[in-house]
Amino acid sequence: MTTADTIHWDPYDPALARDPYPLYARLREEVPLYYNDQHDFYAVSRYEDVQRGLADWHTFSSARGDILEIIQADVQLPPGTLIFEDPPVHDIHRRLLARVFTPRRIATLEPKVRAFCRRALEAVDGAERFDLVQAVGAEMPMRVIGMLLGIPEADQPAIRDRTDETLGTQDGGKIDEGEILSTDAFRDYIEWRKKHPSDDLMTELMTAEFEDENGVTRTLTDEEVLTYCSVVAGAGNETTGRLIGWFGALMARYPEARRELANDPSLVPNAIEEILRFEPTGPFTARYVTRDVEFHGRTVPAGSAILFIQAAANRDPRRVPDPDRFDIHRVTQHLSFGVGAHYCLGAALARLEGRVAAEELLERFPGWEVDWDHAELAQTSTVRGWKTLPLVVTGGRR
Amino acid sequence: MTERWTVRVDKRLCVRTGLCVASAPADFELDESGQGRARAERTAESDVVLEVAESCPIEAISITDADTGHRVFPPET
Repeated sequence: MTTADTIHWDPYDPALARDPYPLYARLREEVPLYYNDQHDFYAVSRYEDVQRGLADWHTFSSARGDILEIIQADVQLPPGTLIFEDPPVHDIHRRLLARVFTPRRIATLEPKVRAFCRRALEAVDGAERFDLVQAVGAEMPMRVIGMLLGIPEADQPAIRDRTDETLGTQDGGKIDEGEILSTDAFRDYIEWRKKHPSDDLMTELMTAEFEDENGVTRTLTDEEVLTYCSVVAGAGNETTGRLIGWFGALMARYPEARRELANDPSLVPNAIEEILRFEPTGPFTARYVTRDVEFHGRTVPAGSAILFIQAAANRDPRRVPDPDRFDIHRVTQHLSFGVGAHYCLGAALARLEGRVAAEELLERFPGWEVDWDHAELAQTSTVRGWKTLPLVVTGGRR
Repeated sequence: MTERWTVRVDKRLCVRTGLCVASAPADFELDESGQGRARAERTAESDVVLEVAESCPIEAISITDADTGHRVFPPET
């Protein structure tokens, strides 16, 4: 294992935001089981290892969190934080939300999602350049999640800013575990919503009966409802916004793909999958190791933290031919939404929002370039994507 | 009630969420590779099974009426 000493991967290093892939490739090819003594964690990066690990919740637990510094802080996580739970409790909690997030129910939201996107784009109508992230990425997912949760439109930006700030880290910083568990953003609404039930998720969560882990049939407590809302808002805003940003950036880098999509929008869903593979907004996922486990002839001891690098696995040549080539026609499975019990609950919603945003942008703008000098790429400890992406509209308008 | 439904999990799509087994352990089990599968070749019509199929995040579960060949879920378009 001589190479292990020569490769250093610091997931908190902001300099890696620009292009982490050469380092991921070296980890994947040279140190398939990596140990970082600075932050005391293990990491695997091959498709097979990531897939196996994320599917095995017995060995790789989420009960201490799915973010490295949260796991290492070893804090008590409140019930209902389903991303921070293992089966069977996780499955009980997830089923309550799964009814709302079925692919078919999400599909019925399309007209509303499209209306939010059009409204966001109207604000930049006639502009020769605009920041895609500010105009659409930060706007549309917030409106969609706000609508789902039943948050009044005027209050939605404040809620988004609060959740994003909680998850945001700067210059190699770590997430504050006290902040991430805060549910204050939604506290004001729950009392009001009890008196004014509606067809939104918060109402559904407050009224849904279920059998809990002790066999008791009940409804969720206020605290649990608040936790659910925070999880949905935290998971659904920035990730989807970053996906839209990556669409804008990759279409500028690969104008031929953009022209193909503009000519044949039926190719868009597959292109969204390729964007998810090529530039996953969540590059890696952390787990807590519950028992000694072997990777590549070495033992990862129980009690360790481990990172599963989906962004590296998505480009594993053992699984994906010519993996560093962006190809909107490629048919492939990626790990960007995870595998197993924690497979992204909002995957159908993210795909819908990504497709609608792509369709609307392609319909409205025949071409665009990115002012790369003024674009800003950011990596927090959970998400990687464009913070600012100034698009310069080219070729006139439709 | 007669056992009219054939329930299938598409192995090419299944990402091993395990939600089907967690939601309806009487009707689903995990195979060696951790993918879901129906326990029986045929099963009775059931709201629970239908809800499980609808809730699968990648719609890997299909339900067919074994007698008529009519697809119950996903609905034919």
